[in-house]
Amino acid sequence: MKRALGILLCAAALGQSPAPQNASEPDLAALEQAAQKRYAEWESLAKDLSERMARILPCDPRYAAGITEVSRASEARLAALAEYIRGASVKALAETAAAKILLNAEERRAVEAALERADAGQEQTAVDTQSDALAQSIRQRPSLEDAQKVLEQIAAMTRQRAAAAEQQAGSQDAAVVLLRDLVTKFDARDAALRDESVAFEAERGRWNGYYAARLARAQTECSITQVAPSPSKSPARPRGKR
Amino acid sequence: MRRWRLLTKATMGVLLFGVAGLIAQSGRDTYRQSYNVWRQAHANLERDAAAGATGVIAQVDRAAAAEVSFAATRAAYVGSTAQEAAQRRQLLQTPVMSPSPDLAPPRVAEIVSGELQTVTRTAARFANDPDSGIRQLRQALERERDALTALNNAIQARQKAVAATSVPAAALEQARSRTAGAFADQASQFSQAAAQLEKESAAWADYYERLAKGIQAANAPPPPPVSVTSAAPPRNDSAPGVPLARYVGAWTYPMVNGIFHGAQPEFVDLVVHEQNGHADGTLFARFKLTPGTATDPLVRFDFKGDFGATAVQRFSLVTSDDAQGSIELIPGPAFNLLEVNFQTEPKTNKIRVGNFILVKK
Repeated sequence: MKRALGILLCAAALGQSPAPQNASEPDLAALEQAAQKRYAEWESLAKDLSERMARILPCDPRYAAGITEVSRASEARLAALAEYIRGASVKALAETAAAKILLNAEERRAVEAALERADAGQEQTAVDTQSDALAQSIRQRPSLEDAQKVLEQIAAMTRQRAAAAEQQAGSQDAAVVLLRDLVTKFDARDAALRDESVAFEAERGRWNGYYAARLARAQTECSITQVAPSPSKSPARPRGKR
Repeated sequence: MRRWRLLTKATMGVLLFGVAGLIAQSGRDTYRQSYNVWRQAHANLERDAAAGATGVIAQVDRAAAAEVSFAATRAAYVGSTAQEAAQRRQLLQTPVMSPSPDLAPPRVAEIVSGELQTVTRTAARFANDPDSGIRQLRQALERERDALTALNNAIQARQKAVAATSVPAAALEQARSRTAGAFADQASQFSQAAAQLEKESAAWADYYERLAKGIQAANAPPPPPVSVTSAAPPRNDSAPGVPLARYVGAWTYPMVNGIFHGAQPEFVDLVVHEQNGHADGTLFARFKLTPGTATDPLVRFDFKGDFGATAVQRFSLVTSDDAQGSIELIPGPAFNLLEVNFQTEPKTNKIRVGNFILVKK
């Protein structure tokens, strides 16, 4: 369920990338800056909400307006944070997709490297065969000795290259193993991001619930202080008492 | 000096223009096809060299040319493989995205805790108040307290999720760095392989040249007995050590990546014939000139002379405009390459010098 929600969020994020630098890459730094600005605005209003409200009568329009102002600042903060999280998800998904494409290409390259190793071995065999044939020919034509010296050098170079091809194929295989591990870690990072995104959405819902409850309390405070005094019951409280 | 530069450029150039049409498809299959062509051209050359069979020198030429083509194809393959690998591995050079932990500040939880304490305290103050209005207020406070409690839990859950994300993000970054290091080693292996292949190709050119020399030396008739009465003029049958095949035949200027000095040829066709150590030939060329210039871009001349005992063959030429001059034919770094250097006496609006490398047709 959590995973499905995460996927939905990522899919939504892909569809509405905010403030993109280009089509596929959101500007995370700008999104983070915006989120921090909205947080500072909200914090300055939220930190002393109770103290400020205590100085205003419940039915004073400034009372409900004060709560609504903090609530809106909270929504703006959470919206900016949601944009950042979406942007991070888009970037993360793009990185993971690129890593998987790279892995695919490197696995193909590993196959090619193995073939090149076989090619080098085949070339080495061909040069060795030539060397043997030339050695035979030199018995009849000593004038070919000069060529034989060069062919020996070529044979040495071919051997060296075959060894290098062997090493290259080996290191390519090792790099592919590292890359597979890297892709696994990309997936793990993305899963953690999805969890973070789900947790954020849950928190966002709770914030809305809290401000709704806070506003409901303000309305209750106002309504109970406006009720006409009951002659049969306790003496009336003064208007506006909290 | 100029010639040296030109030949050095030619060594690089041969890797390019010989396979111009193959660059786009420089896959392994292409270079393997070139390899097979080379091996077929080479066949049993070493065995045939001993037999001194007719046409062995021509076979050496064909094998050398096929090797040059193979080397160029493979160099293109190695180059494009290295380039593609470097491009796609760029991803590993950039640190991976790690979400900012600053967006879940502890201050948020502090604010909520503060509110929760206030609301809880206030609700408790009205706990036993029987007044219906106060009861309503207490119930509203309790709902607010419940909302704050749920919010507090949600904030803690998100803070845990943010902390949990930083662990795989850090592990990912370490893995990226390690993987990038492994692939960086591969990049140096590619460049080493390219350098090695270049050396090998040069060695093959040297080998074929020495093989041809060895065969020629073996085929050469025994030296004539020294005779003091001989009045025959000295004659150059061929340049010692350089097969005539390095000069004789049809040559052309490559369509792409041609090597030249001075005026740039648009096309050049050169034919060199040999008979009894005597050379004759024709060169027909068109040069790319600055637009608006009055100079005639066409050059056509015939040349002739005897093959000398040096690698550089110089012959006298006469242009179609009766200008006198000379042409040098210089064997290139590979069997199928020939450097041409000509100059003529000055004539109004006529090109009088040219220097370029031709490839054997």
